[in-house]
Amino acid sequence: MKTIRRALVAVGLAGLVAAVLRARGTGGTPPTAGGWRELSGPELQ
Amino acid sequence: MKVAICGVGATGTRLARQLVSSPAVEQVELRDERHDHLAAVVASLGPRARIADVPLDAPTDADVVVLAADAGLHLGAARRFLGAGVAVVSVGDDLGEAQGLLELDAEARERGVPVVVGAGFGPGLTCVLATHAAARFDEVHEIHVAKVGTGGPACARQHHRALARSATDWRGSWVRRPGGSGRELCWFPDPIGGQDCYRAELADPALLVPAFPGVQRVTARVGATRRDRLTARLPMLWPTHPEGGPGAVRVEVRGRRGGASDVVVLGAMDRPAVAAGAVAALAVLWIGDGRIGAGAGGLAGRVDPVDFLTALRSRGVRAAAFQGSAVAEPA
Repeated sequence: MKTIRRALVAVGLAGLVAAVLRARGTGGTPPTAGGWRELSGPELQ
Repeated sequence: MKVAICGVGATGTRLARQLVSSPAVEQVELRDERHDHLAAVVASLGPRARIADVPLDAPTDADVVVLAADAGLHLGAARRFLGAGVAVVSVGDDLGEAQGLLELDAEARERGVPVVVGAGFGPGLTCVLATHAAARFDEVHEIHVAKVGTGGPACARQHHRALARSATDWRGSWVRRPGGSGRELCWFPDPIGGQDCYRAELADPALLVPAFPGVQRVTARVGATRRDRLTARLPMLWPTHPEGGPGAVRVEVRGRRGGASDVVVLGAMDRPAVAAGAVAALAVLWIGDGRIGAGAGGLAGRVDPVDFLTALRSRGVRAAAFQGSAVAEPA
């Protein structure tokens, strides 16, 4: 019973940390699609 | 301005062609041990080019010397020319030579002479792209360079050697990793596309780290096939193409801007010898204009990247940015 309680607390804490990181994280989602575009105009200023 | 070019291979020839068409250059002196080839190149370049039938590192009255010969000759020649007060541009990409050339910095500053190390496609254009990408960040954390393709036969031999030797990456300190390890699928500008790239003994990290104080990771990889990896430690088994094929470079810069982590990927696709010739020619012309100051170093942090890329664009070498989106487009 004690082991199960500890496991539930650990899972709960991990979920809490994950939720905070998910909400406050600033890294964004890595690009999964796209393509190359020639640098010109404002990008060369 | 008078310019001497030591080594008239695929890159040296392209460089000479760019220089003889520049109004600022009065004369281009060409040196090479292959006399017939040298004569043919000079004949094709017109009256501004002339043969110098002397050893590659013999004294010259040129204002700038470009070292475009095989790896192994650059450091000794650069020392001699620097000792005579002549500006030096090295198109080589051998790590040991690049490190040796960087050690000439104190002497070059003392003499007031510019020494540009690695003024080619990679390193060279890669250093300029890294500087341009880094300008978009508040803090630069990581720079990852990859290149694929070779210029002429000398470049192909260097590529072959590099794959068999240890890579020297920066992770807060220099870390050596086995050449041919660390496979990573890198996407280059079209039509090159995706290529497996591996660690190799490349000079880019040695040139980039001094230009970006505080950077945490700098790595360089080179595109190779399984056959390249398998035969890297053997003598070259197949003859190389005299002009090389299409190649590409790619620079990925990671850091923080506006309080968020971000990544910028820039690249370019061209024949490596053509692009290297254009980069080296611009470096020579900018030295003549006083736009590259005294000291020894790569192009990163020494040239205005916007002006340099704009000038390269007018010479046909076009940089590109990878624009990614987080959500895959529907099929």
